[in-house]
Amino acid sequence: MKEGFRQSMAWLHTWSGLLVGWVLMLIFMAGTSSYYRDEITLWMKPELHQTAISPVTQAMAADQAARALQKRAPDSERWFVSLPSGREPALQTMWAPPAGEEKAKGKGRRRFEEALLDPASGAELADARSTRGGDFFYRLHFDLHYMPVPVARWIVGICAMSMLVAILSGIVTHKRIFKDFFTFRPRKGQRSWLDFHNVSAVLALPFHLMITYTGLVTLMFMYMPWGVKVAYNNNDKAFFAELFPGSPKGPKAAGVAAPLTPLGPVIAHASQAWGGAPAGRIVVDFPNDAAATIAVTRQEGHGVSSDLPTLIYDGVTGRPLPSPDAGRGAAVETRGVMYGLHIGRFADPLLRALFFISGLAGCAMVATGLLLWAVKEKPKHLKAGRIGFGLRLVEGLNIGAVAGLPVAMAAYFWANRLLPVGLAERPAAEAGWFFTAWAVAMVAGLAWPSRPMWRLQLLAGGMLFALLPVLNGATGGAHLLVSIPNGLWALAGFDGVTLLIGGLLLYASMRLGRAPVAKTRLAGNAA
Amino acid sequence: MTSLYAVVTGCAAVAGAFSGFAFLGLAMDRHWADVHGRGTEPSPAQRRRLRWFGCGQLLLSLLACLALRGSSQGWVLWLGALTAAGWMAVLMLTYAVRRVPRSGIAAGSLALLGAGVAVLVR
Repeated sequence: MKEGFRQSMAWLHTWSGLLVGWVLMLIFMAGTSSYYRDEITLWMKPELHQTAISPVTQAMAADQAARALQKRAPDSERWFVSLPSGREPALQTMWAPPAGEEKAKGKGRRRFEEALLDPASGAELADARSTRGGDFFYRLHFDLHYMPVPVARWIVGICAMSMLVAILSGIVTHKRIFKDFFTFRPRKGQRSWLDFHNVSAVLALPFHLMITYTGLVTLMFMYMPWGVKVAYNNNDKAFFAELFPGSPKGPKAAGVAAPLTPLGPVIAHASQAWGGAPAGRIVVDFPNDAAATIAVTRQEGHGVSSDLPTLIYDGVTGRPLPSPDAGRGAAVETRGVMYGLHIGRFADPLLRALFFISGLAGCAMVATGLLLWAVKEKPKHLKAGRIGFGLRLVEGLNIGAVAGLPVAMAAYFWANRLLPVGLAERPAAEAGWFFTAWAVAMVAGLAWPSRPMWRLQLLAGGMLFALLPVLNGATGGAHLLVSIPNGLWALAGFDGVTLLIGGLLLYASMRLGRAPVAKTRLAGNAA
Repeated sequence: MTSLYAVVTGCAAVAGAFSGFAFLGLAMDRHWADVHGRGTEPSPAQRRRLRWFGCGQLLLSLLACLALRGSSQGWVLWLGALTAAGWMAVLMLTYAVRRVPRSGIAAGSLALLGAGVAVLVR
């Protein structure tokens, strides 16, 4: 290390950030939007918007679910019920087909039947369009697409590790963290980009460190399986069974018919035990049998850990039974908290919004970092008289990632509303629009890496995002004039945020159109 | 927990974080000079006072967050509030620097008022 510690750290920061920056852009954008995954899914099912207007109590919804399931699957071995919440207004029911029927159908994995119900009437909401909704972005941010899941997770893991290295070396490189804590000097070319990169990194530093580190922890069993392999003799299943005990293994139906207790009082009891936090999921084992049990799991959003508490009740008497949660080790709790922190599942609206803002800051940090490399490199190439291949490549990829991804995300939302409702393989077609739009943006960016291309793609992304609230109203969704008076904040929030993002992208496109400031030493990404 | 309590404590958390950053920013030469004219800098006593006020407000914000969400989520909330308040401070120190001293004092008073009401209604 001839050049000294700080220089070598700066080198490390540059390359660990640049080489994975474009994938990180995808991970950060998709991951940030995953904080509002349920809201996105709801928005993408306009058929459900009307249901959301008349909320019912949890006890009523649970009784409607029980009534519907009694009608459809009284002989099933197991029912699953997800109670409606502010983020997901429909009542979801699933049930396992009776054992005999399943065998008759032949081998293969056990298939569950499912139905979405209106929580007020119990009527089936079968006509909601099929879409992956917000889950698409959630999966995209660690499973990518068009490749086997293990490969994708290794790629994402390597990128996350690189990101961690970039953050830590960035802290060392940044000599003036406290002196420049609030410093942003606009319209000064490279200086402004660096200031913005620093501010977006430093102000949300706890979040960036946490999200990168906990992201690695969520997949740690895959990246570092050796401890488990040694301790459990290569038997992963034994490990997970011990770690996350499900319902006690091997209970059998008594074979004696007995009426199921009403679900309403059971969830009221559970809710009381959690200090008023509502129930989220109900699992009924062997309904209408003397050995029936009811497992009630708390709704997400009322504690930091991702492992949600569950209470078990006797299905005939409705009396509480011993809980499976007792006696968790500290390491399990720690992992649960880390996982919970990463996905922000515990977060109420305020915390969730703060996470979302921090996530956007992360996007801005990665984007400005990528831009900085090009801005710094440019003068050397201009001096030499020709733009080299490396710079051209980076500039093209920057356009495709920073300006192209918003276009692709907006295209996904447009596809959701414009594709015919009955289309076969509809979710795949929606994803197809996302990747087609992104591929076009990438190719165009690589072919013409210039300022007009930046402007064009920012303009396209801005228009597509800003017009989403209009599209929502025009294609049968609850638009802002309906959603706000009715208190549908999930939908109003979606429309409001897309409007805001669209506005920002349009502003950026407009700003790039102005002539560069005379004093600017380097003209940003001028062609 | 009454909703009034939640609202005033939340106010103290966010306003305290912003006013803390505003005071700490003003204690720095660059931002002080932006407000009071080029070449000026705060006297040692002024600087000390600004720093004490700033740290006090950040501490108040932390206490409000812990009171609001308990000792585990409270820290997460505080860090989130600091991030949001930090952005507000950066934007104001860049684009509306002359309003920073007054906004800092106003937000600080709001935070103290919120904390006071919170103690009373608890």
